[in-house]
Amino acid sequence: MWAYVLRRVLQMIPTLFGVMLLLFILFNWVGGDPAYILAGKSLSDETLANIRAQLGLDQSLPVQFLIFVRQVLTFDFGTSWTTQQPVSATILSRIGPSLTLMSAWLVTSTALALGIAGLVAYFRASLLDRVVTLVSTVMMSVSVLVYIIAGQYFLAYKLQWFPVLGWSDNLWVNLTTYVPLPLILGLAVSLAPDVRFYRSCFLEEMNHDYVRTARAKGLSERAVMVRHVMRNAMIPIVTQLMMYLPFMIVGALLLERFFGIPGMGREVLLAVERSDFPMIKAITIYIVIAIMVFNLLADIVYQMIDPRVQLK
Amino acid sequence: MKDFRVIVSALCLAISPLSALAADMTKTLNVAFVTFPTGYDPAKVSDAYSIGINSNIFDPLVTYDYLARPVSLIPNTIEAMPDITNDGTTYTLKIQPGIFFSADPIFGGEPRELIAADYVYSIKRHLDPTINSPWSYLVDGKFVGAEEMVAAANGGALDYDAEIEGLKAIDRYTLEINLTATNYNFMYVLATDAFGAVAREVIEGYADNTNAHPVGTGPYILKEGEITSVIELVANPDYRQMTFDFAADPTDPVSVQVAADMAGKQIPVIGNVRISVIEEEQPVWLSFLDGQLDYTGIPQPALRDALVINPDDPLDVRLADTYADQGMTLQRQQALEVTYTFFNMADPVVGGYEPAQIALRRAIALSFPINETIARIRRGQAVPVQYVVPEGVAGNNPNFQGQTGYDPAQANALLDAAGYMIGPDGMRTQPDGAPLSVEMATGTSAIDREWNEFWQQAFDSIKVTLTFQEGQWSELAKANREGTLQMWALAWGADYPDGDNFMQLLYGPNTGDANSAGFDQPEYNRMYEESLLLPDGPERQVLYDAMNEIVVGYQPWIFGDIRVGSTIVHPNVMGLKLHPILNTAWRYVDLTE
Repeated sequence: MWAYVLRRVLQMIPTLFGVMLLLFILFNWVGGDPAYILAGKSLSDETLANIRAQLGLDQSLPVQFLIFVRQVLTFDFGTSWTTQQPVSATILSRIGPSLTLMSAWLVTSTALALGIAGLVAYFRASLLDRVVTLVSTVMMSVSVLVYIIAGQYFLAYKLQWFPVLGWSDNLWVNLTTYVPLPLILGLAVSLAPDVRFYRSCFLEEMNHDYVRTARAKGLSERAVMVRHVMRNAMIPIVTQLMMYLPFMIVGALLLERFFGIPGMGREVLLAVERSDFPMIKAITIYIVIAIMVFNLLADIVYQMIDPRVQLK
Repeated sequence: MKDFRVIVSALCLAISPLSALAADMTKTLNVAFVTFPTGYDPAKVSDAYSIGINSNIFDPLVTYDYLARPVSLIPNTIEAMPDITNDGTTYTLKIQPGIFFSADPIFGGEPRELIAADYVYSIKRHLDPTINSPWSYLVDGKFVGAEEMVAAANGGALDYDAEIEGLKAIDRYTLEINLTATNYNFMYVLATDAFGAVAREVIEGYADNTNAHPVGTGPYILKEGEITSVIELVANPDYRQMTFDFAADPTDPVSVQVAADMAGKQIPVIGNVRISVIEEEQPVWLSFLDGQLDYTGIPQPALRDALVINPDDPLDVRLADTYADQGMTLQRQQALEVTYTFFNMADPVVGGYEPAQIALRRAIALSFPINETIARIRRGQAVPVQYVVPEGVAGNNPNFQGQTGYDPAQANALLDAAGYMIGPDGMRTQPDGAPLSVEMATGTSAIDREWNEFWQQAFDSIKVTLTFQEGQWSELAKANREGTLQMWALAWGADYPDGDNFMQLLYGPNTGDANSAGFDQPEYNRMYEESLLLPDGPERQVLYDAMNEIVVGYQPWIFGDIRVGSTIVHPNVMGLKLHPILNTAWRYVDLTE
C-alpha cells in the first residue's frame, strides 16, 4: 500500500503543475488588471506603471510563473494586492469560521441523510418512502437563495428564534447561537439530494444476490442492513464525502454573506471582485491539494471498507 | 497641604497630554458597511469604507462644519484658518499645541505630540512613488520643489529628510505650504481625510504592514488592525478636549434638533463604534429592524416598505407609519455626484467632432429614457443630471438644463438628416454605407442587466445595432485606457465640494486619467485653465456655463442621474445629521438609554 501511496503522491506533482499553469494562463487572460483598482482615481501612467512594477506584473510571464512556482513550493503566497495583508494570515483567520459551519453542516447532513436513506430503503415502496422521495424532490426544486431569504426573514426576524446574523470569537457561542440557522438552511439544501443518493446506494446493494443469501442464512434484517448492505453501500458514499471535504475550505459563499460569518467564502468572492491574484492563487492551490489528498484518502478508505479492493 | 495637592493635580492635568476621557464607554454605536475596507493607511487606500474608518483615526488640518450648509471648512488641528498670501500660493498654518497621537508601543511609552513636521511627512507620502497613493492626483505638481524631489527619487522612496520649499515646517507648530500656482481649492484638498497626520516613526516602525497599524490623533482608535467582518473602534483616551458647538441651520429642523441635543457635549460622545460588514441588502435591513444597527441607509428592495412615496413626485417621501410610529426618523440626502455614459471621443464611429458624429451621439442621448430608468431602476430616488457640476457643489447652475430629453422621433430624424440610413436589414448604416454597430461596456451584475435592457430598447428605437462588452471594472478601465471601448457608464463622487473637481473630468490633458471620454476641445480647455485662476463667483460661473454649453453641444457624455439616499434612524440615536462630504458622523452621535 505504501508504494501505492508514494506513487500517488508523486503523481500529484504534475497535476499540481498543470493546475498552476492553467490558473496562471486564465488569470493573465481574463483576470482584471489590479493596478486600476489600486490606483483609485489616480490613473496616471506613472502610478499604473509603479503599481504594476511593485506587484511584479512588469516581469515577463515566465518569470511571473516561476515566482508562482516558488510561492507554491514555500507555501508563501506573499501579501494580498488589495489589503497588503499576508495571504497566509488572512486565510488562517477566515478558515476557522468556515470550518466551524461546514463541519457542523457536513456531519449533521451526512448523519441525517444516512439515517433517513437507510430507513426509507428498508421500508422501500412504503408510504414513508414515497413521502420522503416526494419531499426530497420538492426541496431540491427550491433555490438555495429562497431558503436563505425566507429562512432569515421568518425564523430569525419574524419568529426571533435565531439572531439575524452575527459571529463571535467563542466557538461554543458560535455553535449554539450563530451556526444553527445557517446550518438548518444548509441542511434544507443538501439533505434532499443526499437522501436520494444514499437511498439509491442502499437499494442497489439490497438487490444483490449476497443480500438474499444472507437472509437465506437466517440473519436478521437489521444485521443484513448494517453488516452487509450499509458496508457495501459505503463506497459511493465515501466517494461523495471525500469530494465534499476539500470544499469545506471555501465555505458556503451565500450562507457566509447573508449571516455575517467571516469565512473563506466571503474572502473568495472579494478576491475575485478585486482581482487579488495572490489570494486566488493561494485558495486554489490549497483546494487542489486538498482534493488530491482526499482522493488518496478515499482510495485507502475503500480498502478498509472492502478488503477485496487492492491498492496497486 | 490640601491646597498644595489641588495645585499639583491641576498642574498635572494642565500639562498632561491625556485629556479626561469624556466618551461613555458603556455605549456602543452599531452601524454597517456593505463591503470590507481594504486597509487603514491613509496614503494607500481610497475606498469609502477604509476612509470611513480612517476619518475617525486621523486628523486632517481642516475639516467641515458638521451642521453648516452649504458646507464650509473649519480648523481641525490648526488654531485658525490659515493666512494665505502671495496671490494665494503661500499657506501658513499654525498647529494647535497639545494634540497627541494615541498611545502606541512605537512611542516607547512617551506621549507623542502632533507637530508641523508630521503633516509635511504625511503629505509627502502621497508623492512617494513607492506608495502609489490613490490621492496623488490631488497634490501632483502642486508644491514648489516637489517635482524635483520626486524625480530625484527615480522611482524609489522619497528622501523625506530633504526639505522642499513647497512643504516645510517653519517651527514645531508652523507649517508653510508654497504652491506652484494659485489654487482656490487647496484648503479642500487639505480637508481630505487621506491627508490626515501620521507619525513617521509609526510608518517606519510598521513599514511591512502600515495598513494594519493606524495610529493617529483622531477621536477613535482601531481595536484590531486585521480586516474582519466586525470592525471595532474605541474612543481615544488621548483625544484633545473638543466640545460640540456647531451652530444649527435654522431652516433645517434636524439641524436645530441636533444642535439642541448635542450642545456642550464632549466629542466623541460614544465610547465604542461597532461596524459590521454586511454585503447583502436583506440582512442589513433585518438587522436594523431587529435593533442590531442604530441607523442605516435604506436598501433599494426595502424602499417601498419603508417609505410612502408620492407617485406624482417620487422625491416627496415620508417614513411609513409602521416605522414612524415607533419613533424612527428619516434623513434624505442627494449625493454630490454625477453619473454619465461617455462616448470614446477617439473612436471612429461614436467619437469625433464632426456634425454627423455629434448627431449620432445626440440621437443616442435622445433615445434614452432617463426618467423611466429613474422611476424603474432608482425607484424614483434620483434626479437627472443637468450640469457637469452637481447641486450642492460650488459652481453648479440650477437653471441650466443639460439633458437632451427623451424624443426617439427627433433622434431618428437627426440620424436620417446626418446620413445614417436604414439598410435592407432594417438597421442603420454609417453615412459611408458601412455597417453601424455600437458596443457598450457593462458590468455583470443584475442591476447592470437592468440598465442594459433600457439601452437595448433605446438603440432599437433608433435602429442602431448595439452589443455589450461585459467585464469587471478593472478590465473595462484598462480597455478604456487602451482606447478600445466605445461607451461606458461611470459615476464621479465629489472629492471636495468645488466645481473644479467635476469640470476637470472633460479637460483634454486629463485624457486617460479622469477624462474617460478623452474629450479634447480647445475652447473648453482654454476656459477650464482660465477658471482655475478664479475663485467661485459670477466670473467663474460664466466660464462654467459656457463650458457646459460646449459639453451639451458636442455630447461627449449622456448625462445620467444623481442618487438621493434615504437613511432610517432608530429613536435612541441623537445628533445624527448626514453630511455631504464627511464620511461618518460617529463622533458627533449620542445614544439615549
